[in-house]
Amino acid sequence: MANTVLAETFPDQWDLRTRLRERDTDLLVLQPGRPVELSGPVGYGLTRIGYRMLAEPSRSAPVAVLDVRGWLSPLAAWEIGVQSPVFVRCSDSAVWPRVASALLEGVPAMYAEVPGGVSDQDLRRLAALARARQSRVVFRPLIGELASGVGYLRLRAREVHWEGPERGHGRLRGRRLVLEASGKGAAGMSRMIEVDDAGTHDLRVVSDLAVGQAGRAFG
Amino acid sequence: MVAADEIASSVGVTRGMGRREAEGLCPGATVLMRDLGEEFRRFEPVVRMIEEIVPRVEIVEPGSVLIPIKGAVRYYGGEDALVDLLSGKLRAAGLRARIGLADGPFAATWAARTAGDDEPRVVSDTRSFLAGLDIAVIDHTDLVSTFRWLGVTTLGSLAELPRDAVASRFGDIGLSAHRLSHGEDRAVGPRSIPAELAVESRWEEPLELTDQVAFAARGMAVKLVEGLRREGIAPHRIIVEAETGDGEVRSRVWRSTDPFTEEALADRVRWQLQAWVDERRRSSGGIVRLRLDPSDLSGEGRQLGFFTDEAARVEAERAFARVQTLVGQDGVLQAQAQGGRLPSERVAWFRWQDDVVPVRDPSAPWPGATPAPSPALVSLEPQPVEVEWDDGMPVRIRLGTRWEPVLTWAGPWRLTGSWWKGESPVDRYQLVTSVGAFLCLVRSSITYLAAVYD
Repeated sequence: MANTVLAETFPDQWDLRTRLRERDTDLLVLQPGRPVELSGPVGYGLTRIGYRMLAEPSRSAPVAVLDVRGWLSPLAAWEIGVQSPVFVRCSDSAVWPRVASALLEGVPAMYAEVPGGVSDQDLRRLAALARARQSRVVFRPLIGELASGVGYLRLRAREVHWEGPERGHGRLRGRRLVLEASGKGAAGMSRMIEVDDAGTHDLRVVSDLAVGQAGRAFG
Repeated sequence: MVAADEIASSVGVTRGMGRREAEGLCPGATVLMRDLGEEFRRFEPVVRMIEEIVPRVEIVEPGSVLIPIKGAVRYYGGEDALVDLLSGKLRAAGLRARIGLADGPFAATWAARTAGDDEPRVVSDTRSFLAGLDIAVIDHTDLVSTFRWLGVTTLGSLAELPRDAVASRFGDIGLSAHRLSHGEDRAVGPRSIPAELAVESRWEEPLELTDQVAFAARGMAVKLVEGLRREGIAPHRIIVEAETGDGEVRSRVWRSTDPFTEEALADRVRWQLQAWVDERRRSSGGIVRLRLDPSDLSGEGRQLGFFTDEAARVEAERAFARVQTLVGQDGVLQAQAQGGRLPSERVAWFRWQDDVVPVRDPSAPWPGATPAPSPALVSLEPQPVEVEWDDGMPVRIRLGTRWEPVLTWAGPWRLTGSWWKGESPVDRYQLVTSVGAFLCLVRSSITYLAAVYD
């Protein structure tokens, strides 16, 4: 079976010596009042990670997906266990902060694409609102990254390995994502985690294959 | 199928039939999606016609009314006379109606359902009539399956079981079913209704637009149900009363077997107001006052689902309603799975809190469907994309301003499409590049980007 490395953004910074600690499995669990930022290019699997974070809160109440591009599909959300998400489409960056604010005040959890043109001040206000309301929120900036301090945890996509297709044969089956976790939610230290996405209803953090960033690793 | 015209009915199309079967019987038929609001708008004149004979009818859904006849039977000189008068009036208006008369809403509903067109069914012994009905009329799939497994196949055999044993084994649902089998509809709550639980709104400018009506209906329905929930009660019957700009006051009674939820109540109020507003638009003025009066209460207002957080759900619904005012109704959407071979075909989008019936059966096999995992980003309309080919193999793809080499790929998987409509076949490819994996379609030598595996 082919195992294709799609992207190796900064391979020289990684150190395979470090193993993932037990608590890293909680990095994919959305905590109340602790916004998560998913940053990285399209195609690295961040949308499925965002959906995965919504799955648990969606069991008790409706959750929101704020769609800027109009491309987000519920098929992947259903596959991963998000129950009856409500999709809000808003591409206007002037209206977006008000829409996000209204959702944060009401829904228990939200996955929000952030369009370009939203000010850092607005994003900090939203993060403060999420903390005050104890809302669960995942921000997915479509351009660049959010200002520091907005997200409690930042997961930055670093690498993705696809399994399945091989010159016309097979089909996409699964992928392994390498993410760099940083921010308060990662205990102030940047480190690498690997996530196994077998295309099923769940994503798994793979402890044994975790990597840490050189110079800031522990262990 | 929920309805068919005379031509379709004459070739055998019946209610409850699947779409394919109906189209097989009547290939030239045009299939329309169900629109309950429009159905009610057309049903409103029928309700008015009935109210000319018996006032204060209770609307269950568009096409179905319950008529309390205690006073009317005395006035018109008997049940048969009343039924003849009613069916005659409807027939004279060119309507085919099924009329049933029995003790209580449940028995009357099933008497009507088992009656023939223009052949009213007057049930003199309600217990005997109910005893002959199949257990499936309980309308609770799991409970019906269990009863059948136990050999209880009719309401009569259920009625023979001791009530305390049924209650002990099946709880509240079983107890309700047992009561129905005895012809005892849910007892009306004896408690008085605090006057402040009714909600009323007044508007300086009469409501004449569809969006205004929908917004008012939803807001008042939420307010009413929330108020009742705080009291631990839920309404089974609502009186919708509206006053028009020229001082005319109209009211309608809506009834539901299950307690009204915010959405169910908002829908009914919206249909009712829309029907009135449409009618008023033809004369003068719109609606300036609306009052929702609950009655027939039960203690089901505080029953929460085991896993659901009712308060959180209500908060979320309020938030979605607020967002609708910011992005419009088409900006707040829900989706339902439907059949199809492409990811975009497998999703039926609909406005939040609207109803949708999937066009294609999702449980059908759909051979050749694009396999899981599903892409997280799907374009409703595939976008043209430049792909360079070498002897039928994709070499590189243009993404924005740069070309990305194709590292590997899967496909092609061919879809022949509706060739009888002139559609050309489509080949699907999964392309893996250094910046992601894509689902591409090739039709008539032009490549389209259909989805991204993000």
